[in-house]
Amino acid sequence: MQPTPDPAASAVLAVVFLPFVAAAFVPLVYRALGERTAYYAAAVALACFGLVASQYGTHGTVSFPWIPSLGVSVSFYVDGLSLLIGFLASGVGVLILTYSGGYMHGEPGQPKYYAALLAFMGSMLGVAFAADLIALFVFWELTSLSSFILIGHYQRQKSSQYAARKSMLITVSGGLFMLVGFLLLHAVTGEFSIVYMLENPEFVQEQLRAEGLFLPVLGLVGVGAAAKSAQVPLHIWLPNAMEAPTPVSAFLHSATMVKAGVYLLGRFRPVLVSHEWELAFAILGLTTMTVAAILAVGATDIKELLAYSTASHLGLIVAGFGFVSELGGETGAFHIINHATFKAALFLVAGIVAHEAGTRKIDNLGGLKDDLPITAGIAVVASLGMAGVPPFNGFYSKELLFEAAWEAAHAAGGGLAYLYPAVAVFGSVFTFLYSIKFLMLFFGEKPTGLHKVHSPPKAMLAPPLLLGVLAGLVSIGGLLGTFDIHFAPFDDFVTEVWAATVPPGADLHGGFSYYIPDHVTPALAMSAVTIALGAAAYPFYDRLHRGVNAITDVNFLRANWYYDSTVFGVNDFSDTTAATVQNGLLRTYATWAMASVAALALAGYVASGVALPDFSGFAVTIPLALVLGVAIVGAVAVSIAPSHISGVLTLSILGFMVAVFYVLASAPDLALTQLVVETLLLVIFLLVLDKLPAFYGNAGRGKMIRDGVLSAVVGATVFVTVLVSTAATPDAPLADYFRDPALTVDQAGGHNIVNVILVDFRAFDTMGEIAVVAMAALSVLTLVAMRERGETQ
Amino acid sequence: MSTVIARTVTRTVVPIILVTAVALLLQGHNLPGGGFIGGVLTVTAFALIYIIYGLDYLEEELLHQNRETIIESLQHGIVENYQIAFGVGLAVAAVSGLVPLLFGGNFLLQDHWYTPALPVYGELHVASALAFDLGVYFVVVGSLLTILAVVGSE
Repeated sequence: MQPTPDPAASAVLAVVFLPFVAAAFVPLVYRALGERTAYYAAAVALACFGLVASQYGTHGTVSFPWIPSLGVSVSFYVDGLSLLIGFLASGVGVLILTYSGGYMHGEPGQPKYYAALLAFMGSMLGVAFAADLIALFVFWELTSLSSFILIGHYQRQKSSQYAARKSMLITVSGGLFMLVGFLLLHAVTGEFSIVYMLENPEFVQEQLRAEGLFLPVLGLVGVGAAAKSAQVPLHIWLPNAMEAPTPVSAFLHSATMVKAGVYLLGRFRPVLVSHEWELAFAILGLTTMTVAAILAVGATDIKELLAYSTASHLGLIVAGFGFVSELGGETGAFHIINHATFKAALFLVAGIVAHEAGTRKIDNLGGLKDDLPITAGIAVVASLGMAGVPPFNGFYSKELLFEAAWEAAHAAGGGLAYLYPAVAVFGSVFTFLYSIKFLMLFFGEKPTGLHKVHSPPKAMLAPPLLLGVLAGLVSIGGLLGTFDIHFAPFDDFVTEVWAATVPPGADLHGGFSYYIPDHVTPALAMSAVTIALGAAAYPFYDRLHRGVNAITDVNFLRANWYYDSTVFGVNDFSDTTAATVQNGLLRTYATWAMASVAALALAGYVASGVALPDFSGFAVTIPLALVLGVAIVGAVAVSIAPSHISGVLTLSILGFMVAVFYVLASAPDLALTQLVVETLLLVIFLLVLDKLPAFYGNAGRGKMIRDGVLSAVVGATVFVTVLVSTAATPDAPLADYFRDPALTVDQAGGHNIVNVILVDFRAFDTMGEIAVVAMAALSVLTLVAMRERGETQ
Repeated sequence: MSTVIARTVTRTVVPIILVTAVALLLQGHNLPGGGFIGGVLTVTAFALIYIIYGLDYLEEELLHQNRETIIESLQHGIVENYQIAFGVGLAVAAVSGLVPLLFGGNFLLQDHWYTPALPVYGELHVASALAFDLGVYFVVVGSLLTILAVVGSE
């Protein structure tokens, strides 16, 4: 390929951070502009789009030093794939934000909405351009967070809360799997740089295999991608996410966030592509494509239908990327573009229908073409593209998938591998079915009860129109391609994207071009079979619809059922646990806290295999033994004290003996502290005890035994801890270092080592400690004050 | 608990405790002592007053302020002064850490000076760490007294 210029550093940086800065200003802007904030946000998106466009045709890395001493830098990578996702995020962003200006009219929480949308767009651009695994992960999780806010936009509704929590749980935990995969990659290659991996794919793969980590990395990154791109069985969050306002559904769930998963696969495809890769992702993708298409037929709500359809098409893209041949990369690259145009348009159409007709139930809609002629036109182009009917855009990318599946089956030597093309056709039949069903909202008879539908405002109509025109242009490009007229910039761009998803040096067959084949190929035959079967089955749509719903009524066949059982099961478990552990009795709290601390500490020692030091005889002077003996007597006396007062008094015997012990061990400072603290404790205890009954009465025998055992265990834990932690005394004790007068007296100006350490050498620690003390006082104050005000529950 | 003996002893002992506490604070850098111990000792003196004379004595008899409810006293009374004390303490400690930055040192870098031949006193040794220690002292006094007063008033 010809050399391309380097991307402009400032432009790439601006494109990622501008949306975040703009998001921060939204509350201010909203005060000034009110509902027209939508156009401010759209202008920001347009600026981002311009910046992305200015990088068109460039290729390379942009790095900004961040922490040079650690070799950490913020770096971004520009190539076809990242430009594509960048274009989608910012371009669809412009349309969505404009559309929101009409759709969100009079809705509550608009500043939050626009700020979250802009932040989301920024994170998505960050995902697209990140050239560093850690940066990619951070932006990735940021998309999950901002989409959590957007899906839960109607925050008082239970269903919104459920949907937001579900998508968050699934996508964020998927991201954590991905993070582990990234860390393994780092452990093997020693690099966080994605560019390094893209430049040495074979070397990286060899190293991974040598360490036996290839499959784990493949699986972990795959889980991340599958969670984000709603692959079966993690697809369940996508239909619920339709609780969000429709523009959000169109933006996040057709054009951008769900594309993050396929982007990840495309990005790592050159590095990880292999036999195992094909097995994993072709199967995952085709399964998702089929299952989600079947579920879409079972949908009763137009947005639900589109949601399942999105999952299905993402499956198609994943399957495309899954096939090892170059055709696979081509399928994925091209279908990302097609899907974004027709699906975003359809979501916006669905928004118009829901907004104007007041219902989203498929059964209550029909014959809308008279009232909404332009919308109907958009729907025709977009749904036929979704159905894969020639000459509309989805047809060409589906052809590529069929071709790739056929080739893969061929290359694998037939047999079971012919399931690839067979399943692809089977799934596509359902795709055809639901696409036509959606289209029929606009044709046929108007159901009774559907009043006159008004035309949508211009701000709502323009964006889907533009998307529909784009989808139409891509379709026309294919028609013209048949007559050997090619639109070179578009083809070149897709070639760029394609090139980014294949290992360097792969054969691109002279670049990308698409057209209606002029002779019968296996792929064309498969398309014909799909359409024929679909057309034949359409009259039985209602029966199929009921059949699908009958199947999904069976609990254990639904992925949702597993999700709900797990989440709510865990809820119940934590409810029971909380009631047992925190039952309001101080004694119970103390029991659980101490038992778990002891258990954790002891388990830690066992796990790390620490050895107890050898016993080297008693090295204790007589006075010391005497003091410790009195302390033990005091301890025993505490446990048999007849009242609280005498218990506290005997306890302070123990404390004072420890203070004497410090004096004998030549630590006057500690002794002084111990004495003063002990005195204060005694005083506070007495202050509190004044109000308490003399004794609580007799506890049961079982409780006494339990408490006795517990205290023995805690004592043993402390004993072991002291033994273990003092065993590792270094040869030259730390004290020798600080005892050096050259250090303490001359540098710090103090003779008291303890104080010098506290206020000079470790002053930062002390600073933290006094902050904690202050915080504790504040908490006590707040707790008591709040209780008096009756704010607690 | 307030017998005549206890009251008399408290009257005598509290000033001595306070003086000792301040002495501990000032000498801490060279002899046993320091901000923390000094602070705790100061609180002991207050605690003694609280126990022997009751919680309201400090406020009503010594400061001549009357509070109606517990909440009011928590928000405005002497407790507020305690809170100011630990706020000031934190600030002093932080500022004493920031000052070295002005002279190009690290955060919390300490220095010390000898002032030879002061009249009467003789040689005086001042460490900048004293400022930090003072901060610790105030935080400890303020926080513990807050806790004491709040818990005590329950």
